[in-house]
Amino acid sequence: MKKSFGIYLAFIIFSVFSSSCTKERYIDEPGNLVPKTVMEDETLPSITVNGAKLHSEAFGPEDSTLIICIHGGPGGDYRYMLNCKTLATKGYRVVFYDQRGAGLSQRFSKSWYKSQGSDAINKIFYDELKGVIAHYKIAASQKVILLGQSWGAMLATGYTGKYPNEINGLIVAEPGGLKWDDVVDYISESRSFKLWSETLNDATYIDQFMTGKEDQHEILDYKAGLMGSTNAIVGDVGSDLGNNAPSFVASRSGAVVNAASYELGQDTKPDFSAGINNFSTKTLFIYSSNNKAYPDSWATKISSAYPNKEIFKALGVGHSGMLDQVDFWTTTMEPKIISYIQSL
Amino acid sequence: MKTFTIKSIILIAAISFFQNKIAAQVINWKNISKQNKHLLNVNVGAEYGVTAGLGYHHLIPVKKFPIWIGGEFSTPGGNKPADDFKVRLGAQIKIAAFNNFQFSARVQGISRRFQNQSVTLFNFGSDFAGTLGYYRKHWFLGAEAGFDKAIVTHFKHSDWYKENIYFNVQDGWYEPATGGNFYYGLQGGYSMKKVDITLKAGKLLQEDFKSQPLLPFYGQLGVNFRL
Repeated sequence: MKKSFGIYLAFIIFSVFSSSCTKERYIDEPGNLVPKTVMEDETLPSITVNGAKLHSEAFGPEDSTLIICIHGGPGGDYRYMLNCKTLATKGYRVVFYDQRGAGLSQRFSKSWYKSQGSDAINKIFYDELKGVIAHYKIAASQKVILLGQSWGAMLATGYTGKYPNEINGLIVAEPGGLKWDDVVDYISESRSFKLWSETLNDATYIDQFMTGKEDQHEILDYKAGLMGSTNAIVGDVGSDLGNNAPSFVASRSGAVVNAASYELGQDTKPDFSAGINNFSTKTLFIYSSNNKAYPDSWATKISSAYPNKEIFKALGVGHSGMLDQVDFWTTTMEPKIISYIQSL
Repeated sequence: MKTFTIKSIILIAAISFFQNKIAAQVINWKNISKQNKHLLNVNVGAEYGVTAGLGYHHLIPVKKFPIWIGGEFSTPGGNKPADDFKVRLGAQIKIAAFNNFQFSARVQGISRRFQNQSVTLFNFGSDFAGTLGYYRKHWFLGAEAGFDKAIVTHFKHSDWYKENIYFNVQDGWYEPATGGNFYYGLQGGYSMKKVDITLKAGKLLQEDFKSQPLLPFYGQLGVNFRL
């Protein structure tokens, strides 16, 4: 009996380790668990801006009004905004870019972000957006409209407040908050998972299976991606891009830029509403009915920073659904945005 | 805003810490006898999530160096109770004793599973720990330190993940080691005739000695039944 047990055990151990040794796979090798960035895959569309190689592409006539799409996060990517690509067929130049350290753009170490000091938001994000606009703007008379969602809406607001005369239109979809305390409150509300919930325990349980050092982007990005796909609290059910989706699926979170940004936020307490009172052009402020962390009262509070605005409540969708649900985009959001732009 | 925040981490850690929920079998080495060779344990706590567990150990009475061999099963909270779990098999052995001070070591092999809508992970790992404590018949207090290594992990991604996140993700066994965490903390307990009530709590640190898991504390409240 003892002998047969020993043979059985040896067989199991041999099976496991022989199968595991057939081909070594590293969790930190680009392309294994997360897609390669523009630094490793030369075939990806890219631009170099402000010292970083960014994953970026644009659609529509080069000399027409620019619509710059700014994704959420920090650390998200533009893939879920690709329904906006149809605006190119309506005569606009639609620009997408993954922010530094996010999506398929170049990665930077956490220490690099932290070394930017008290002016980090400006140096990292505003200067980058300025560079993106400069790259795609080919005529001084070309109008520029910013379209930001979530963190992208906060960034768009901060940039417009800083350069109010350079922006011709502002579309913001659910900026979590504009003053830092509001940002923290919104994050807490939108991530208030129950202690016994599957979501929370999935998020914490994986830490015993894989760990990544501070700048092991492939590991950290993979883990962040596993956590951030859906969120019932904010009404996100996963993107539906229809024909707007690229021919292959390659989405990647930016865990390091995300963590560094929050730490910088805690340190510097940025005010993204600074200067927005000088932007007299009408802002289109959008929020959704399915985001439980963004009730009417919150929308009223956050939108109060914009001196001239049109508030639009997107019914039947959540935080990202305003843009990433193709049916809603086609029937509601795209007509609304075109109407707004034409009203300017 | 698609990821967790510092505030969320602090919140999780604070809840787990202040609830004194506390993880592997805690043994009073001073209160064992050849008549009670079986140890059943039930526990609740926090270890990479809110967990509940069951354990069984059998005593091999090797004169001054008794060995407990056995296993433990634990699972985290959630509405899919069987999708994540951990099984530990191994031994705890008393290595040295001086008056009421004793030093023991624990060596365990681990198999564990994680599943969400994106991926199913299956891992083989190891857990080595040492405990130095002061043991009396009715109570004990000790300090422990150990290392939990995720040696080899199998990744199997869902169709959903391939259709929505990354089409070319590579499934299969990943090696070398995919992770590791150090832990250190305190443990103690109160022993009655055939029952021990045990408590342990401590801190987790990733193998780079800098990063922390999302839930950086562990803890366990357990009850041992000596049969």
